[in-house]
Amino acid sequence: MRLPSIARTKPEAPNVHQEPLWSFRPQSDREAGDAIVSNFMLHWFPAKISKASMSWSYSFWLGTISAALLFLLILSGLPLLFLYVPSVERAYQSVKDIEFVVTFGSWIRAVHRISAHLMVIAVALHLMRVFLTGAYKNGAGRGQQREWNWVIGVVMFLLTLFLSFTGYLLPWDQLAFWAVTVGTNIASSIPMIGPDVRELLIGGRTIEQATLIRFYVLHIIVLPGLLGGLFAYHMWRVRKDGGLARADQEGAFETPRTAAIVPTKTYTLLGVARGTAPTVTVKSLENADTTVNAVPDLVRRAAIATLGTIAIVSIMSVFIASPLEEPANALVTPNPAKAPWYFLWLQEIVTDTTIRIGSFTLNGAFVGGVILPGLLIGLMTVWPWLDRSPRLAGGVWWPRDRRVQNIVFLLIIAGVLVLTFIGMELRGPYWNIYWPWQAWPEIPGRI
Amino acid sequence: MEKRTSSPYPRIDRRIMAAIGITLVIGTALFMWSDRAHDWRYYQYQFRAMVAEKFGDDRAVKIPQGVEQIWVADLSRADRCITCHQATSYKGFENAEQPYRTHPPEPLKQHPVEDFGCTSCHGGQGWAIDTAAAHGEVAHWEEPLLSRSLGEAYTLAGNKNALMQMNCNTCHRYDRVTPGAGAINLAKNLVNEKGCRACHVINGYGGTIGPDLTSVGEKPPEQYDLSRLSGQRTAFAWHVAHFKDPRALTEGTVMPNFNFTTEQAQSLAMLMLSWRRNDVPAKYVAGAPRTDPRSPEELKAEAAMKTGPGGWFVQTGCFVCHSISALGVKSPAQIGPDLSTAVEDVQSRFGLTIDQFLANPTGTMSVVLTRQIVLTPEQKQIAIQKLREAFAEYQRQRGQAVSAGGK
Repeated sequence: MRLPSIARTKPEAPNVHQEPLWSFRPQSDREAGDAIVSNFMLHWFPAKISKASMSWSYSFWLGTISAALLFLLILSGLPLLFLYVPSVERAYQSVKDIEFVVTFGSWIRAVHRISAHLMVIAVALHLMRVFLTGAYKNGAGRGQQREWNWVIGVVMFLLTLFLSFTGYLLPWDQLAFWAVTVGTNIASSIPMIGPDVRELLIGGRTIEQATLIRFYVLHIIVLPGLLGGLFAYHMWRVRKDGGLARADQEGAFETPRTAAIVPTKTYTLLGVARGTAPTVTVKSLENADTTVNAVPDLVRRAAIATLGTIAIVSIMSVFIASPLEEPANALVTPNPAKAPWYFLWLQEIVTDTTIRIGSFTLNGAFVGGVILPGLLIGLMTVWPWLDRSPRLAGGVWWPRDRRVQNIVFLLIIAGVLVLTFIGMELRGPYWNIYWPWQAWPEIPGRI
Repeated sequence: MEKRTSSPYPRIDRRIMAAIGITLVIGTALFMWSDRAHDWRYYQYQFRAMVAEKFGDDRAVKIPQGVEQIWVADLSRADRCITCHQATSYKGFENAEQPYRTHPPEPLKQHPVEDFGCTSCHGGQGWAIDTAAAHGEVAHWEEPLLSRSLGEAYTLAGNKNALMQMNCNTCHRYDRVTPGAGAINLAKNLVNEKGCRACHVINGYGGTIGPDLTSVGEKPPEQYDLSRLSGQRTAFAWHVAHFKDPRALTEGTVMPNFNFTTEQAQSLAMLMLSWRRNDVPAKYVAGAPRTDPRSPEELKAEAAMKTGPGGWFVQTGCFVCHSISALGVKSPAQIGPDLSTAVEDVQSRFGLTIDQFLANPTGTMSVVLTRQIVLTPEQKQIAIQKLREAFAEYQRQRGQAVSAGGK
């Protein structure tokens, strides 16, 4: 179906488009380019994109899925903002009301919760994909700074975790209270400044109203604002760096043009590129065999990833109810008290590095909660500068030159997954191991 | 013809897009449906039909529709029970099945629904609008509906509805007798009769041998040791079993076995769980006593026991188990022998003098004298002295009785 378009006469002057509407079914490359220039949402996209970048199985579109989940979180968070009351007296009640009597309330809350969990997973998978394909490596383009976009990505991953963690406290139930207790106690194990860090985080010495309002403001303003800003920058950098690393890879096999640089990449269309903007000295982008127009092919695939994510979250949210435990009670510790699942591997390490010799206890919180994750995040951040593999090892799956680092990376991921699984599934009361076929001791009721 | 790049994607991508479109429509239909699918719609429909049948359509159309609630700001309660239980204040359905039954009017005269809501008496989760959640039969809700069926699940020996009386006692804590709360009244009587205060602080006064019971109902279920409990695993079941046989549940406890009947043990367990810190707004308990009332006679008798010739035994705690009748000390529990004749009695039971026995006690007394009442050698000398005085007094009283009988 063609969108109604004003008489499709060719513009008199080249590069001047007269049509106020853009077509989702462009009849020519020029029309396809017009869409990018005249549509606000589509200005994110290049006019043309390499076919290799469009592949489902290269990127798995995890970045798009993460962005779709962020979009869903903002959308579902808005009605919750109108309904939730951030006070220790009323937070729990307001969540009960959202669950029971607000129209679509329990579904909206489920969408928000499920999107949050899925976003942690999607962002982590995206990060893993980028590492495994060495996509932080610069290719043939000039002015590429993919390593810095990786650093921004790592920060965004941490922000995602912290966003989820701050949201955890808001229902003010036992699950929230004790997960935050475990989390902030780990922070307090940093030598010298630990207790101060905890005090800064929770606004006092106990988790109370001050903590709730701190986490609330972080959750609804500070962290989403930071993440949104970095997200925009992340996308902009992708464009500046010439799209996915995969695009470089594809072009690299052609004969590089050493002579005059042809500004073939998309920025010329938008006119935002500086003099020697990321221009790839290859012909691939001019080649009709290796590229397609962003409108409609890229737009359609982005829509598939986004709408598909929304459809899946929507259906999951009908069937998976969000838990709300007893109201927060500082006097009753649930047994076991678990951190949020994405921190459980750390809690597990904290347990395993806590050594008891007689009555003497060496607390593992510093090793497991501070040193180890700090080291891993630090190493991850600077890895692009430590990775000495050749340029061609970037933007492809399982390159031989990066085999060792990929195996080590996967082993670390496997370790984290195993520890997370143990923490989630096997740890029972008193943090003892319970196999799936072993029943937990029954939790007694009042009456 | 302008240049046009051909694309291999539309064929497959359009199909995926269509599938996602259909999934989105299905998803939307699902969540719209899930938001509407609540039992209360059926119950309201049924009730309207019942009213129409009995009183005609004119009255049926006046019955409100949708979620309804009683909002009691003073108690922070929003009770949505009346969404299904629409007949609560509707006369004419006194014998109907729940949820269509009219509430008995008597308790509501003293406790208007608009001031008390439903859950402050009945328990349950007032916020919820689905049966299981509202009746509190779900995880993470510790105040279930205190219904007859719950009473039957506990095979209450007396009134099967009695569990609700626990909530009466939230406000009526200091009443000696609360009309309509038979089980709680029975339990309060037992507390006085058996002298629980000899060992336990209740409402601010009492002995310190056992734990303070003033807010024992607050103790979280997780903190009970249920390892020796069989059957239902709840705090209530623990208390019932504990009242019937304390030692079976708590090893080495000195709490005596009072041989309570099942009904007595269950009533006492209800009383225990009703003793909670519950901030009731002052206007709800206007005119009610704020402390445990004690009659002048009771205070006088207590003072006489403490300051009379047997005062030492009261202060030391011996009287918890032992009466010393010769000195006018009456034990509330009376589980040990009367100490008036201890000088003679110890000799006949253990073949030891009272001095030897107190120096090296055996049996229960060895536990009590090492854990509960630890006496210094000087105090033991006083004890022996006092026991001899008591025996002398006993013999004097008996001599008088014999001579009086002889005359």
